[in-house]
Amino acid sequence: MISAERAIKTLQRDTTISSVLRAVLFGGMFAAAVTGVGIVPVMVLLGCGVAWAIVSMQAARRSYLMGDSPSLIASGQYDEAEEQIEKEIRSFWQFKSVKLRGLHHLAVLRHAQRQWREAAILSQAILRQRLTTMPGVARTTRLMLADSLLELGDLPGAHHALLSMYAQKLSLNEAMNLLVVQLDYESRIGAWQAMLRNLAHKVQLAELMPSNSAARVQAMLALAARQDGKEELAQWLRRRAELLADVNELTAHRPMLKQLWI
Amino acid sequence: MPWFSYVALSFLLMTVIGLFAGSNPSPFFKSMQVTTSIMIVPALVAAAVGAIVNVRRFRAQQATLDAIEEMIQLRRWEPAGMLLDRFLSMPMRSVGLWAQALVDLASLLGRHHRFEDAIAVQSFVIENELLDDQSDYYVRFARAMAMLREDHLVDADRAISDLRRRDPERMSGGAGGLALVEIYRDVKTGHPDEAIELFAKYLPKMQQQLGHRVADAHALVARAHDLLGQEPQARAAYERATVLAPPSELQRRYPELVKLAEKYPATVAPGEVA
Repeated sequence: MISAERAIKTLQRDTTISSVLRAVLFGGMFAAAVTGVGIVPVMVLLGCGVAWAIVSMQAARRSYLMGDSPSLIASGQYDEAEEQIEKEIRSFWQFKSVKLRGLHHLAVLRHAQRQWREAAILSQAILRQRLTTMPGVARTTRLMLADSLLELGDLPGAHHALLSMYAQKLSLNEAMNLLVVQLDYESRIGAWQAMLRNLAHKVQLAELMPSNSAARVQAMLALAARQDGKEELAQWLRRRAELLADVNELTAHRPMLKQLWI
Repeated sequence: MPWFSYVALSFLLMTVIGLFAGSNPSPFFKSMQVTTSIMIVPALVAAAVGAIVNVRRFRAQQATLDAIEEMIQLRRWEPAGMLLDRFLSMPMRSVGLWAQALVDLASLLGRHHRFEDAIAVQSFVIENELLDDQSDYYVRFARAMAMLREDHLVDADRAISDLRRRDPERMSGGAGGLALVEIYRDVKTGHPDEAIELFAKYLPKMQQQLGHRVADAHALVARAHDLLGQEPQARAAYERATVLAPPSELQRRYPELVKLAEKYPATVAPGEVA
């Protein structure tokens, strides 16, 4: 099992090597183009072009193969995902974006395995990089960081990670994940009325979520409704939660929800 | 052949000419070598620009497809249909995008009760092996459901056996989804006992894997109890189903449930979320 620290070090090492390699290739091509005519410059240019094309094609092929690990994680095949991600991280990548994606997959895996500390460290390392060409990865990582910090009991850190999400245009999946983390955070600080704001939309989003998230969101909304004196609404939401997930499991992860079933 | 390939071929040709010209000392070949050396740079730049443009176009198509899928999830069928119609009229950047668009088309056709058309599209996608294992399993599951809706019971039974062979435990929504299709088949073919038995056996899996669609299983088992004249159990199961999904949506998915709606009260959602 690769550790977060080891994976981050590999990223830094490969980033440096690929920068040097890129500089050498571009430098060679530029020098060949400007130093005039003859067989040697043409050969250098051709050699650099071919080397670039080979490395790019290899990266594209591996990048395609990497597509498997998120679906392995989604279907709960953590061992297979671990093996594949480890291979992705340990092999050399010319493009930083591909390497970063491997690290992101590792963070997703650790998050799914409930290894919050590792997930937070990896997410922070990813967010320290320039992610302008990977806005989707940046948003998902920020959400994962907020959730991991919440699990670790770092409320200010989670709040800070969540803040930047509100200014961004989110996909449906991201909006659903944000709702889960946001309600979790708000329930910990007792912002019950804020939780019930725009309720119909929140319930509609919950209906699209996987069972555990849908149950957790609706249980938290039930708790907020009860705190706000809306007993009928609280009962309806609680009933939905118990039809979607095992109550013992739900309350084991979020002990504050126990009061709904007392 | 994409224009990127023409650029690559020209690049190769210029290199060969340059090499050939370099081996000849005459002024004509010397000037030819200078020309090819100069032309290689714009050719390389053109190839790089071409690659960037292609990637951008691919990403734009991917974003459109994501938007269509979000609309379908949010039940905004009309705009999703219009956008998908335009999307499928364009040349596709990859087979994967095209296959996913066809899967979305099948969902929309199902929503409009055009199950025969949906089955045709799904069969095309399956037969041509356009998808990965997980997506392929989902399409086979949706096709089995559509076959049951159209009363193609023999085909549906074959499709269910096929799903069972594909290791449903490894697929997302696998075993639970398969149990739901089997419960529907048993209700449809008048085997309510088997449906109730399957429901009891697979409820935890369905609960875990189907999200709010577990309402379908509760509604179908309500129908099974009703067929057996077990009214209290049918009433309780229908109450559970309508906590999770509105009766209109359940009846749209399974016309067999219309009779239940006439007989048993549905759970009414509170005013705050109605």
